Amino acid sequence: MTENLVSTAAVKTPILGVSIDIAFEHFNLAINHSIELSGIVGIFGQSGSGKSTLLRIIAGLEKCANGKVSIENRVLQDNVSNTFIKPENREIGLIFQDNRLFPHLNVYENLAYAVKRTPQGKLSIEQVLELTQLAELKYQDVTSLSGGEKQRVSLARALLAEPRLLLLDEPFSALDKKTKAHMLQIVKKIQQQLNIPMLYISHSISELQFIAKQLIIMSSGKIDYIAPTHQAIHRLNNIDDIAVKTSLSLSIAEHLADFGLTRLSFADTSNSVYLPLLEHDSKQSDIGQLLPCIIYARDISISTTKPEHSSIVNQLAGNISEINQGATSAIIIVQCSQQKFYAQISLWSATRMELAIDLPVYIQFKANAVHSFHLTEPTNHA
Amino acid sequence: MTNTAADILALTTTLKMAAITTVILLVIGTPLAWCLANMKSRFKVVFEAIVALPLVLPPTVLGFYLLLAFSPQSLPGQLWQTATGSQLAFSFSAIVIGSVFYSLPFVVQPLQKAFEQLGEQYLEAAAMLGAGPLDRFFSIVFPLTKASFITAAALGFAHTVGEFGVVLMIGGNIPGETRVLSIALFDHVEAFNYSNAHVLSAGLLVSSLILLSSVYLLGGKFNRRSVAKKVLKS
Repeated sequence: MTENLVSTAAVKTPILGVSIDIAFEHFNLAINHSIELSGIVGIFGQSGSGKSTLLRIIAGLEKCANGKVSIENRVLQDNVSNTFIKPENREIGLIFQDNRLFPHLNVYENLAYAVKRTPQGKLSIEQVLELTQLAELKYQDVTSLSGGEKQRVSLARALLAEPRLLLLDEPFSALDKKTKAHMLQIVKKIQQQLNIPMLYISHSISELQFIAKQLIIMSSGKIDYIAPTHQAIHRLNNIDDIAVKTSLSLSIAEHLADFGLTRLSFADTSNSVYLPLLEHDSKQSDIGQLLPCIIYARDISISTTKPEHSSIVNQLAGNISEINQGATSAIIIVQCSQQKFYAQISLWSATRMELAIDLPVYIQFKANAVHSFHLTEPTNHA
Repeated sequence: MTNTAADILALTTTLKMAAITTVILLVIGTPLAWCLANMKSRFKVVFEAIVALPLVLPPTVLGFYLLLAFSPQSLPGQLWQTATGSQLAFSFSAIVIGSVFYSLPFVVQPLQKAFEQLGEQYLEAAAMLGAGPLDRFFSIVFPLTKASFITAAALGFAHTVGEFGVVLMIGGNIPGETRVLSIALFDHVEAFNYSNAHVLSAGLLVSSLILLSSVYLLGGKFNRRSVAKKVLKS
């Protein structure tokens, strides 16, 4: 039923132009960027970095906004030509952190609210209920739903308004990890099926790493840079209060149920990485899928000889490409074929082992040092 | 006319006055309450004080100024006379206008409080789904603040029924026109006609009690429901 929703035509990537400079009470928001809206673009920043304000400006909810916002040729606001398209006419959807379902309407009526105001809409409530796995909750009172269910209704309602751009403002930050993983999968799948560009805000790097292809990194009201996800996360390693990590995508090779492990493989080498067994269906239909993973630098150790008598399952050979000394520890960047790994070791070890650029080393990390929101679709949605 | 017939006429005049006043108050009180709820100016308190004035002023003060304004010598009175061909002071229209001023805070205050509590969140969500301002008012604001509309209307109505001073100053005592229950009661007492006075007093007392009880009952029901919803939501 949902297959026919997939847009087969090659759609040109729309460009969002934002050029604003506004002084708020606590910070200045100064942005002058063109953002390619392809797939899900993540926005990362600490709280107070201005990311929510940026989304509210794009949505048209900040009336004082000074500057220009446009999508392709359509000017949404421009204080030079005195244009301001009201939020209700922007064809932009916004999913709030606090769901904002209308408490006087049930699930179906909340969805119908959007349909009624979208005369040209092509999606039906039934289709969207199926996409968001809400069919069984159709006539429930929204106040009786769980946090994850509420956000699914909120997502369904936003989709039914058929926006040209969907903004998500930390929609799942209040949910537990398992529910969040489920929601992220739903959003990712819907994005691919309906081909709606999305801007997704979060202060969780792992969440963004799982869902976004591109990341916008913001701090103190400015966009620091826009880059492909893994690259953007590695650049964040230079910031003091962010834990240093390796971000990479590997394909699922096999599920080793007897050992409680799943094996991931690199595209370019025969190396493998093992992590705790992922939830999977009996057909193992996820084999070959790319899994975004994160390995914290503090979980990776370095050995100058091949560790043959170790319990640690992940061992990769590489060469040191960079050494960054800190006050008490050093970040060693090890190049294993095409992939960079970040390892954090004590200065004492770095000195004792006489680590140097180009030195061949082995990196080691345990299976449960590999973190990911697992991909496999739960077989029942109860 | 017998005393009873006169009292029934006073009752219908009162009900008519209160009903028309309540409708007018809802029509002008709602946008006024909305403006006050969303006003960010530091002069907001001044406007709030103006709306609240009838709560503390003796009704005769309000009545006195309205009487001056309604007289054919003053501009409002003249404009009215040119427009309608009849005098404004001592007319049914005069006591309705007087009542609107007099009962304004009873309608505006509960609505303003309800609008302030409702906040922006649902309205922003509705706007993002394509609802314009009027649409948002009728599809979101009104259903979520229904209890306060009922309270506001009932308080406005009950307070207008109980009005005495303003009517006396600007309406006089014309049967079928401006002679309302409170004035009929005053007449009975002046004439030592205590049995009729008892009927009117007890009648007003009991009907006001019933009206207010039903308001609190309804308001309680609605509020409990919306409170429960808020708690569940968070």
